[in-house]
Amino acid sequence: MDISPHATDDSPVHRLNPLTKLTFAVTVTVSAFALTMTWWPLLLFCATVLPLVIISGTLRKFVPMLLALWVPVALTVYLIQGFFYPDTHRVVAEIGPLELKYEGLVFATQTALRLLALMGGFFLLLLTTQPGALMSAMTQRGMSPKTVYVVSAALQIAPALTTRAQGILHAQQARGLPVTGLRGRVRALVPMAGPLILGALTEVGDRAVAMETRGFGTTRRPTYLTEVPDTATQRVARTVMGLCALAAVVTNVLGVLR
Amino acid sequence: MADQVTGRILLNPWRLSPRWRIGIGAVIVAITYGGLISAKPDSVHGGVGGPAALLALCGYTLGAMLIVSGAVAGLPTTTVALLPVAITINIVMGKIVYFSGLPLQLDSIGTVLVGVLAGPAAGAATGALASIVVGMTITPGALPYAVTAALIGFIAGTLARAGWFRRLPTALLAGGVIGVAAGIVSAPITAFVFGNAGGTVGQSAVIATFQAYGNSMLKAASLQGLVADPLDKALTVALALTLLAGLPSGYVHRFPFVQKHRVLAVHRLMPRRT
Repeated sequence: MDISPHATDDSPVHRLNPLTKLTFAVTVTVSAFALTMTWWPLLLFCATVLPLVIISGTLRKFVPMLLALWVPVALTVYLIQGFFYPDTHRVVAEIGPLELKYEGLVFATQTALRLLALMGGFFLLLLTTQPGALMSAMTQRGMSPKTVYVVSAALQIAPALTTRAQGILHAQQARGLPVTGLRGRVRALVPMAGPLILGALTEVGDRAVAMETRGFGTTRRPTYLTEVPDTATQRVARTVMGLCALAAVVTNVLGVLR
Repeated sequence: MADQVTGRILLNPWRLSPRWRIGIGAVIVAITYGGLISAKPDSVHGGVGGPAALLALCGYTLGAMLIVSGAVAGLPTTTVALLPVAITINIVMGKIVYFSGLPLQLDSIGTVLVGVLAGPAAGAATGALASIVVGMTITPGALPYAVTAALIGFIAGTLARAGWFRRLPTALLAGGVIGVAAGIVSAPITAFVFGNAGGTVGQSAVIATFQAYGNSMLKAASLQGLVADPLDKALTVALALTLLAGLPSGYVHRFPFVQKHRVLAVHRLMPRRT
């Protein structure tokens, strides 16, 4: 089971510092949620996220991934809020005993589009960035090495476990465990998952010893093996994006107070 | 240079001691939740989700970041090495259950496991980091729920310290308590950020039913959480205990938290008669 979509291609977007892309995703999300115009998140998505996706050349991967996650959520929000939004007055259509409400549809549109912006921004980060590079960039920014280790190791452990699962499966088959057909597969779950999970857990102790002997857990800041490239332009861009997000939040707060 | 400084400040908040960071993070989360409850954003029409969703996102994310940075700082290497495995258990089980379409989650078995073995701080770190890993790989929709996951690990650890995991009935009760807290804290995210549509088909159906009976969005999400989460977390605890029972006793022994607070029943710490 490979849980991470690999970012192996090369493009100007791929070469950006991961932090820039992270800041971009956060800014898009915050701006999408901060302003209350209904169609604003869609505009934001089309004007900022889509061009970057096209430049990065990942459109073919981006669209299916985004749709697979976004369409179900959007449909659900339309169904729930279209029919059951509280305190509504304007009825658009009646389907049997259910009433489709105008306010609910507006809210559903807004929520769905905001989620589109959120998912779009983070999928761009995901598709164009190696998780390892993002983690190195975070380490250089002073994030604790322990946090970085946990996240990086969790990202790498899944492929290793897949290999181990294959081994266990073969071993159990050799002992006569039937794994064909749906019933066989369901029955094989416990003898498969047991050794897999318990084995992974018992290995932890050895790994901890190995890590300690290599100086993990020292209080001193480590030096970096790979320097993540960063440019002055990107630093400025990050500051500007941060200010944009801040401005959006301020607009929102002023709107609430008014 | 200025930006570098901001980066440092964001990630390493003011060089506070870990305990303070966890405390301030928890206070921010509590204030966020209180604000969301007291503002009753449902009753306002127009830009409904906007301010509430933004407050929920920002407050919870900031709180989770502070809690993680504080919690991870104090962990010994054995625990740090345990976290990635626990996170993987979370992800794999969560995926299996998600595709089954049941109104369950079961995506915090590893979190509970770490909470029981290594204490509240480790549990909180596991939960929050698991959400971040899922957010980075499978769906960004998991990111806002980092606080809930952290809370699950934290409560599991606290109750383990109090001895609730020594016997099965109290352990299941602990699962219920965890579920109530998780349901309440995650409700604002489900309601305001996802418009009550974030979860599985089953969850959405339950929420839709509650809304159809005239409950507000936050209330419907909270009720769904209160109905489904205690059961879900009791089952999670049961599965985590099953895993613990399968581990060799020497392994469990290695964690100082388990020894110091006699977290598990005494017979678990004796060598097994074979």
